[in-house]
Amino acid sequence: MLRTRSLDTDSPYVADESKMSGHADALLIPDNEDDVIEAARESYRNGTPLTVSGMRTGMCGGCVPFGGKVLTTEKMNRVIGAGRDDRGFFIRLQPAVTVRELNDVMRRKAYSNLQDVTEGATAELKASGDYFYPVDPTELNSSIGGNISTNASGPRTLKYGPTRNWVRRIRVVLSDGTALDLARGDVKAVERTFRVHMGDGFHTVRLPSYDFNMDVKNSCGLMSRDGMDLVDLFIGSEGTLGIITEADVYVTEWHPLMSNILFFPCDEDAYGFVRGIRASSATPEFLEFLDSGSLNLIRGVRSKDPLFTSMPDLPSYAKSAVLLDLPMDDTLRPSYEAIKMAAEAHGGSLDRCWCGHELKDRERFFGMRHSIPQTVFEYVAGLKRTVPKIHKMATDMAVPLDRSDEMAGLYKSALDSYGLEHVIFGHIGNGHLHVEIILKDMGDLEKAHAAYRELAKKAISLGGSPSAEHGIGKIKKEYVALLYGQKGVDEIRELKRSLDPKMILAPGNMVDP
Amino acid sequence: MKIVVAVKQVPDVSSVQTDDSGNIVREGIPSVLNPYCEYAVYMACRLKGDGPVTAVTMGPPQARGALLRCLELGADEAYLISDKAFAGSDAFATSKVLSAFVRTHIPGYDLILCGKQASDGDTAEVPAELACMLGVQQFCYVDEIVAGDDLRVLQNYRDEKRICVVPLRSVISVSKGECNRRLPSINDYLRAADVEIKTLDKAALGLDEQSAGVKGSKTRIISSRSSGVERSCVTIDGTNPSDAADVIIKEAGM
Repeated sequence: MLRTRSLDTDSPYVADESKMSGHADALLIPDNEDDVIEAARESYRNGTPLTVSGMRTGMCGGCVPFGGKVLTTEKMNRVIGAGRDDRGFFIRLQPAVTVRELNDVMRRKAYSNLQDVTEGATAELKASGDYFYPVDPTELNSSIGGNISTNASGPRTLKYGPTRNWVRRIRVVLSDGTALDLARGDVKAVERTFRVHMGDGFHTVRLPSYDFNMDVKNSCGLMSRDGMDLVDLFIGSEGTLGIITEADVYVTEWHPLMSNILFFPCDEDAYGFVRGIRASSATPEFLEFLDSGSLNLIRGVRSKDPLFTSMPDLPSYAKSAVLLDLPMDDTLRPSYEAIKMAAEAHGGSLDRCWCGHELKDRERFFGMRHSIPQTVFEYVAGLKRTVPKIHKMATDMAVPLDRSDEMAGLYKSALDSYGLEHVIFGHIGNGHLHVEIILKDMGDLEKAHAAYRELAKKAISLGGSPSAEHGIGKIKKEYVALLYGQKGVDEIRELKRSLDPKMILAPGNMVDP
Repeated sequence: MKIVVAVKQVPDVSSVQTDDSGNIVREGIPSVLNPYCEYAVYMACRLKGDGPVTAVTMGPPQARGALLRCLELGADEAYLISDKAFAGSDAFATSKVLSAFVRTHIPGYDLILCGKQASDGDTAEVPAELACMLGVQQFCYVDEIVAGDDLRVLQNYRDEKRICVVPLRSVISVSKGECNRRLPSINDYLRAADVEIKTLDKAALGLDEQSAGVKGSKTRIISSRSSGVERSCVTIDGTNPSDAADVIIKEAGM
């Protein structure tokens, strides 16, 4: 049954982790796809904006409404079944299942209540060793539906690629309440055109003329390629084209991992070490960077809370760090040989590091890395009490690997020139570092926007994306124009209009209505 | 100082969930070195001086993971006592096996360290029973060990703390670890991975089918259930402290 609740301005349903907050007239709570269809039909009839919301862990205001109604998928949180096709096992689930919940089901092999999507699949999966869902969007409480809507990625994209690579099938409800069931391979574009059947007949959907950059991590704008799959149009569309009500995602075999943190005397040494690793035979599945500012941020919190990050004190010689996971198999020792050479060439060593192979080690190493954005998030949440319009400013730009060091240098010089305090960390293995700008007032926010614009232009000029994994939402729309020009923005808007003629779905996301 | 550390591999309690009947769901739960045993290994490595630290555990073959951890943390050698006849051992039978190990393999030990209890069974009986079977003194619930002219420990019974001088060849159970204890480095791991973990069965310890396992145990579990403690919160208006105190007295039935 579709339930409706009123919403206060301080309701959590009008904000996300960017700390942007909006307003809406009502909250809709569907239990199933029929309820979503009912909600879409009513909104379509009345021309009421409808913003879909998952676990609200987004960083760009994508689920933040500005008028109309919010539809939360949070009650659609059931793992439905398991199946198997030529590629391997997949799990069928509702959109609000979180990454953590999905992996918990597989770790515990809790398949007894699941349906067999293909004959005997749950029993086969149970008998087939350990499996997991490898897309790791850092925030494990994010929903799979939200991950698909933003083509989320994270540290393990280095080995496994983004969400897009793991989606087998989706069910999606369009603006007029039409439900589509789309398996990958079912519907391909003819050059740059799809024809989609909606309630009032066929709609011609013309893809933008730009070529979506697949050479770097990229979540800027709608995907557009000749002959692309219709599933890929909805992946990363940020709720602007339809509401995902069900998905099949592939899972893969789990294997033991050794987690490692190596410390270096300065940021440049860590960059040099990463260059060495890339050129070597080592096979890391995860390659993350923490700069000196990040380590000092951790030291600062630990001075007040010694249990923060569940780690020992960082060694005094540690001025930067690289985190990497290695498979615990025959490749481990050769990888360590390569790591030894690369580390020793840059002031590190196999003694100036920590490692661990228990799950709790991996979780606390990962927790240490995640503590950086989380600490800044909590700082901004506190600042918001005195500066209500402030929101978090974190860069999310990816560049080709051979331009990664150049981009890192540009971050530092640009932000220093604006006098903005910042920390640099993140997915160095994908040429995708995050910069968290530590804002103090609205003046800083203005400067941060100017710096971001400047850096986004640089990233694009280096062949990169101004939005690699967080998406665009409402905060980063100007970068769509920066990357694709006004023509690209207009083409995205026209594409949206062809599937959402009344422009009611997630208005304000990606492009202005 | 020659130190033996008796350790146990346990399910990672942070990942344990219960089913609708309150029973622990063990499937898929990762195994870890019992945290109290980890504290004991740290303390042993700090105390050892020239002498070797020997880690020992009784368990199935996968318990090697816990011993690898001990070696990474600085233990010099490790023994896995593994025999199907030992399956189902209670604290008494476990202590019997461990005491047999000490007598047959490390008779010249100076000190035995254990964790105060395992996070799965929580009986806290093995250290005391091991000491009893070896005929040596026991010092349980130890927060600190200080080695100087003599060996002193701080025992913490919550309602009482005491400092004791510990004779050599005693059994100490450790209840506290430093939150800032070091983590292994890659070199620590590589060194540990090169150490051979020696496996022993009942014959190697001079034990038979009746000595341990279910047959050698004195405990039988009849049933287990979730205690199902429910907590609730009552907010009391503290504008008038005297009235608030009256509410607390009434609630507490005092």
